[in-house]
Amino acid sequence: MKALIEEWSGEGRLRTLEPGASPWPRGYSLVLQEDTGLELGNPSGASLSILAWGEPSEVCDGRVSLVGPDVAEAGGGSIPFGQVVLVGGEFDNEYDSFRDIRDAVYDTHLDGFSVRTLPSRQTVWCRVSTEAREGGFSLADLGAALIEELKTVEPVSCAEVLFVTSERDDVERLAEPARGAQRVIEAMMKMYQEANFDCETCEYKEVCDSVMDLKKIRDRLAGTIPPSPLREGRGGGE
Amino acid sequence: MILAISGKGGVGKTTIAAVAARALARDGSRRSLIVDADPAGGLAMALGMKPGRTLNDVRKELIHEVKEGARDERDLAVSIDYLLAEALTERGNLALLSIGRPEDAGCYCKVNVILKDAIKGLAARFDETVVDAEAGIEQVNRKVLGSVDYVLLVADTSMKAVRTAETISAVGATMAPGAGFGLLVNRVTDEGQVEQVRAATDLEVVGWVPEDPTVRRFDEEELSFLDLPDCPASDAIDAVLASIL
Repeated sequence: MKALIEEWSGEGRLRTLEPGASPWPRGYSLVLQEDTGLELGNPSGASLSILAWGEPSEVCDGRVSLVGPDVAEAGGGSIPFGQVVLVGGEFDNEYDSFRDIRDAVYDTHLDGFSVRTLPSRQTVWCRVSTEAREGGFSLADLGAALIEELKTVEPVSCAEVLFVTSERDDVERLAEPARGAQRVIEAMMKMYQEANFDCETCEYKEVCDSVMDLKKIRDRLAGTIPPSPLREGRGGGE
Repeated sequence: MILAISGKGGVGKTTIAAVAARALARDGSRRSLIVDADPAGGLAMALGMKPGRTLNDVRKELIHEVKEGARDERDLAVSIDYLLAEALTERGNLALLSIGRPEDAGCYCKVNVILKDAIKGLAARFDETVVDAEAGIEQVNRKVLGSVDYVLLVADTSMKAVRTAETISAVGATMAPGAGFGLLVNRVTDEGQVEQVRAATDLEVVGWVPEDPTVRRFDEEELSFLDLPDCPASDAIDAVLASIL
């Protein structure tokens, strides 16, 4: 993920969006096709959503970046969409923290903007109403709202968001880190939900063995070491 | 407002639902969810809309999610929101959701409960919801009509159809205690037939629809009822809807 961001940045394709003068109003909106000013991540197109967390030092707090056109520049219709949410903080209980962070993303609703997520496909499908588009809605507003919501989660100390709207290929390049993040989350969820630590029969053994955090969680849950705050490594999901 | 249109098979309830959808489309100011709850899918056809996915497809995918995909109930809830939106076929201010034909008989109570709640949640985001219910009382028995505000019972002038409407009303009143019920007499060729129905039932007759060659032609030629010109039948249905919605 980091390499991809550096590549886009080096090519001059990644820019930081400035936040609006005031936060975009919150609200749950149903945006029908006829009211849609711009659609992002339609199920028939490219769409990817990643949620990852790690060391606060790895997160540029408050930054909203974009590769591709913003809402006003996109010219209407339907465009690909990638959403990468990175959070940093002290996560004593990874499972609860993950769910709180994930719920914060799910709970971010803005007026004139509908968002739907399919976790198993890691896709996010959004519609910006014509009224919101004409009213100046920007992905900076969405990013700022996501960051604000994420920072209501107690262990989260910093958050940043990257959007990709450029082209299908760019969004699809997020697929590999997205798959990796998904596997980490699935492995963690399995550990907590099934409490089965028979690693020899587990399909996530390879994932756990390669991610330091997961090994620590596994050892702690299996009772081999006492609970301790998680400090090293990172995880990701959605 | 959730309006269910129910009645015996073959009395023309799908046509009534299609003309109701036409009225809502013409109004344009209210976003309306049209639910084709008849597995035969006649309403989608009557509206000239071709649903890509059905609620049954959503149900199957959710079962897959429960088995392999979604990680917990919150994931499942957002998944169903996404999948339901994907299953909507939109035209103007109308969004059509087709139930489809159930293919597997397995019991997935968790999925069914979440699905029912999700449809209720989806309906709540629209100004109006019109449900073309399955013929007979099966869906009433399965509490599908549990959250409706009004059940428009459709009968032709036959006593069999009127008795079916009475049964639906009796069963439905226990399933949806707060709902209103009214009888719409369809395909009337002589006003005297309406009086005969009134005399034969305790149900409130809220209106009647004359037999109409324009409606018959649209039906026979498989034309979209959204394009139906004003005619005596549409005027009668519009008047009944105006009194309900």
